[in-house]
Amino acid sequence: MANRTQRRFRLNRRDLTGVYLTAAVLTLAVLAQATLLTRIRLGGASPNLLLVIVVCWSLLRGQTNGVLWGFAGGLGLDLVAGLPLGTSALALMVTCPLTVLGKDSVFPGSLTLPALLVALATPVFGWVVLLTKSVLGLPVDWLASTLYIIGPELALNLALTPVVYPVLRWLALQARAGHMGW
Amino acid sequence: MTRVSGRTFLFFLLAAVCMVLLILSSSDRLGPVEGVVMTAGRPFLITFSGIGRQITNLVNTARDLATLRARNNQLQTVVDTLTIDNLRLKEIEAENERLRSLLRFAQLNPNYDFRGGQVIARVISKNPSNYLAAITLDLGAEHGIKPGMPVVTERGLVGRIHKVGPLSATVLLITDPSSGVPALIQRNRLVGVVNGRAGGAPVMDYIPQDAEITVGDLIITSGLGGEFPKNLVIGQVVEVRQRDYEMFQQATIRPTVNFDRLEFVQVITNFRPLPNQPDESDSVG
Repeated sequence: MANRTQRRFRLNRRDLTGVYLTAAVLTLAVLAQATLLTRIRLGGASPNLLLVIVVCWSLLRGQTNGVLWGFAGGLGLDLVAGLPLGTSALALMVTCPLTVLGKDSVFPGSLTLPALLVALATPVFGWVVLLTKSVLGLPVDWLASTLYIIGPELALNLALTPVVYPVLRWLALQARAGHMGW
Repeated sequence: MTRVSGRTFLFFLLAAVCMVLLILSSSDRLGPVEGVVMTAGRPFLITFSGIGRQITNLVNTARDLATLRARNNQLQTVVDTLTIDNLRLKEIEAENERLRSLLRFAQLNPNYDFRGGQVIARVISKNPSNYLAAITLDLGAEHGIKPGMPVVTERGLVGRIHKVGPLSATVLLITDPSSGVPALIQRNRLVGVVNGRAGGAPVMDYIPQDAEITVGDLIITSGLGGEFPKNLVIGQVVEVRQRDYEMFQQATIRPTVNFDRLEFVQVITNFRPLPNQPDESDSVG
């Protein structure tokens, strides 16, 4: 009986470690997104670190994890960016099911698959944000946004993927070894 | 009966939460919650923004060093030290110059009341999302900042306060597609509206077909609608688009403010609609 309680307590601690890991990664990502990465500009866009992280994490740890990271990270980004709360969260969550394309990949170390998924997720994210703004009654120029924001953002996100994916892969391996993660 | 998987249920549950948040947020009912979170996050934003500035300085320094190394390997160590010192001093000098300009701007325009730090607001975050052209200031409701207040630099109009937290505020830039600024061409006083464009320079719309507008014309705020003071400089016309089948001409504007290099701005806190505006001859900016 005592052993079982002890085991349960240990599991809870592991879960908590996962929550701390999630909170740390997402907080750092949101802060970096809001302050550091905005200095990198191509056309009218900056790289979307949070999107790359959510897509890669979703690929590495499954859609449920990805959806949770997208929801939490998106709310953080909305708060910092001044967008209506829920806009980025919804858009990030919608990109997660795309990773079903990479499920059971035989090349987990390859960068091609995450790059492909980021390439697919970037316009999906952008269009969902634009759609949300449009539904909220804000003026949206779909063509200009697609050409001058989503296009450059796609290129920047692709450049970011080879940096982010290996780091997250290492984190995912550590998390799996220690049974961390949501 | 079809059974819904836990994953699908979680997705739709969180999506529903997002929808509720969107509805509440767009009707400004989450203002206090957003304010509390922004207040908690403000020190981190300021720290990260400082780190960003340092990294930019380091990158610039590294570039300079590469050039110097190619020129003179023997004096590399000395040049490194001097370059770093020089950059630091230049940074201080540039900051000093910006503060002087802002002070001069405030003295030239005694009709406006400015708030920020002591006089000036520091930009702590720029364009965090690609889908909203906005900056975050280190001032909020506790400093007297309210939504709608115009934000300027000594070079001209920046935007207006969009959201306000207790210790920080978001400024909607004039380059955002949802921003519209009533404006006029200084030379012939023709009115129009300067609208932001996604990923591009803002444009002045609603210029009558028969109006004369040329590249280089200065665009200033008209004060119509009472949202902005009159005669704040917005930018210069760089391109005019006139098509016979359209009702209006359109002019592309190059803003006088460099939004990529904004570090300090001023918030006009005592602005009142049209009746209290300065005369047209009182040029601002």
